[in-house]
Amino acid sequence: MDADREYRAGQVPLPGFGEPDAGCQPAPPRRDGVRHARRMSNWTLAALIAGTGAATVALAHHAFPSVATAAGSSTTAATGGQAAVNGTGGPQVSHAVATTSGSGATVTTTTQTVNGRTVVVRTVHPAYHDN
Amino acid sequence: MTTTMTSVRERAAAAPWRRVYTGDQTVAVAQRDALGTTARLAVWPPDHADGAMAAVDAVLAALDLQASRFRPDSEISWLYRRSGGLFMLSDGLAEAVRVALEAARWTGGLTDPTVGQALISLGYDRDLVTIDPDRRDPLPAPVPAPGWRQVRLDGPLLHLPAGVRLDLGATAKGLGSDRAAGAVLAATGHTGGALISLGGDIATAGIPPRGGWPILAAGQSGQDGADASGTDPAGAGLGQLVRLPRGAVATSSIGYRSWRRAGRVMHHIVDPRTGLPADGPWQTASVAAMTCADANAAATAAIVAGGHAVDWLTDAGLPARLVSHGGQVRYLGGWPEQDGGHIEVPQRSWVYAGTGPCGGAR
Repeated sequence: MDADREYRAGQVPLPGFGEPDAGCQPAPPRRDGVRHARRMSNWTLAALIAGTGAATVALAHHAFPSVATAAGSSTTAATGGQAAVNGTGGPQVSHAVATTSGSGATVTTTTQTVNGRTVVVRTVHPAYHDN
Repeated sequence: MTTTMTSVRERAAAAPWRRVYTGDQTVAVAQRDALGTTARLAVWPPDHADGAMAAVDAVLAALDLQASRFRPDSEISWLYRRSGGLFMLSDGLAEAVRVALEAARWTGGLTDPTVGQALISLGYDRDLVTIDPDRRDPLPAPVPAPGWRQVRLDGPLLHLPAGVRLDLGATAKGLGSDRAAGAVLAATGHTGGALISLGGDIATAGIPPRGGWPILAAGQSGQDGADASGTDPAGAGLGQLVRLPRGAVATSSIGYRSWRRAGRVMHHIVDPRTGLPADGPWQTASVAAMTCADANAAATAAIVAGGHAVDWLTDAGLPARLVSHGGQVRYLGGWPEQDGGHIEVPQRSWVYAGTGPCGGAR
C-alpha cells in the first residue's frame, strides 16, 4: 500500500495538503455569531435613532434658517468609504504616525514631554532583510 | 491544523508589541519586529488596539510561513528545494505569487518574481545582517531573471520551470500591509480606522483621521540629518509630512540594504533584465496607490526603470516622490510639494484588488 503513496516522476507532494491555509482564520465560535447578531441589532437600533434624528433635522432645516456647521464637527456616522474619500469623520491627529522609508529602513517617531515642552524624537535604523 | 495554528501563535508571541506615543491620544500606535523589519500599527479608536494587534499578528505570521525565503520551513523555501515542477500552493502563497505576476505584467517586467537566483548570485542569499559587508571574492557572471512569463499559475496550481527561483520582494511586504489592514478592520467590526506599516510600506483601511493619516515620506538615506546615535531631534532632512486620506504608500530605496562585493556596491533591488543591482538616477522612490501591493510594485519599478521612471509613473497616473542620488526631489502625479499636503490616489488598482483569500476585504 505504501507504493500507492509514492510519487511518480514529475510529481511532488502538496504542502499542507488537507490542512486549512495558515493565512485563514478559523470559523468564529457560535458565541461570536450571537455577539455579531446582537451588535448588528444595536447598529440597527442606532441607525433607526440616527435616521429619526436626521429626519427631525431635515424638518428643522426646512423650518428654520440654516446655521453654519462648525469646522471639524463632521460626524463619524458617515460611511467608511465616503469618509475615506473626504478624510473626515475620524479623530484629529496632528503628529505623523508612521514613516514610509526605503526598504528596511525604519524611522521611529516618539513624543515625550520634557520640562513642559513636547519633544519629538525620530530614530533611523535599518532593518534586517526583505521578505 | 493544530501544528500550524500553534506555530502561528508561537511566532506571534515571540515579538511583543511596544506602545508608541506619537503625541496624539486619539489614536493608538504600537510597533513590533516582524518579517525582518518593523511592523507599525495605528488604530482608532484606541480601545481597538488589542484586537488590532492580534489581527496583525496572525496575518504576519501566516505571510512569514508562506513567503519568507529566509525561513527554511516556509512554503516558498520548500519550493526552492525542488527543481521545478507542478505544485499545489496554499491560498495565501498562491495569492502572493499571483500578485507578483500581475505586478510583473503591469510594470512590463521591471519587477519580476523570477529574480531569486540573481539575488542569490549577488550574495543576497541570507539574512542581511549575516552577509559579509565586504566580500572580496570575484562577482560571478550576472544572472538575468528567466522571466515571469515562464511561471504559470492557475488558481493554486503553480508550474515552475526547473532552475527558476521566486523572490516576492517587490510585492510581498505591500501585500502584507494590505492583508493586515483588512484584517484589522474585520477584527474591529468595520468601525474606526487603521494604518499598517511594514518596513515603511503603508496601507490604510476604514475611516481616516480628519484630513487623512499623517505620515512622513523619508528623506534621502545617508543625509537624513541623523546624528551619530541615529536620532534626529529636529527632524531636519527626514523628509516630508503628507496626509493620506485613503489608499497606500510605499517606498523603495537603494540606500539602506547594501553591501560590497569584489569592490562594487550591491543592493537588493535587482534589474531583472541584467541580473545586476539597478543603477538609475533615483535613490528613493515613494509611490501612492489604492493598495500597498500596487504602491510597492510601482516604487520598485521606478527604481529599476531609472531614467524612464518619470514617464512610467506619469503614464500610470500615480502620485510619486522621487529623490535623486544628489538629493533633488521630483514630485509627480499630484504628490504634494508642501508639507501637510494631501495625497489623492487613483480609485483603481492594478495588481491587487484589496481582498484576500481569507476575506480580508476592506
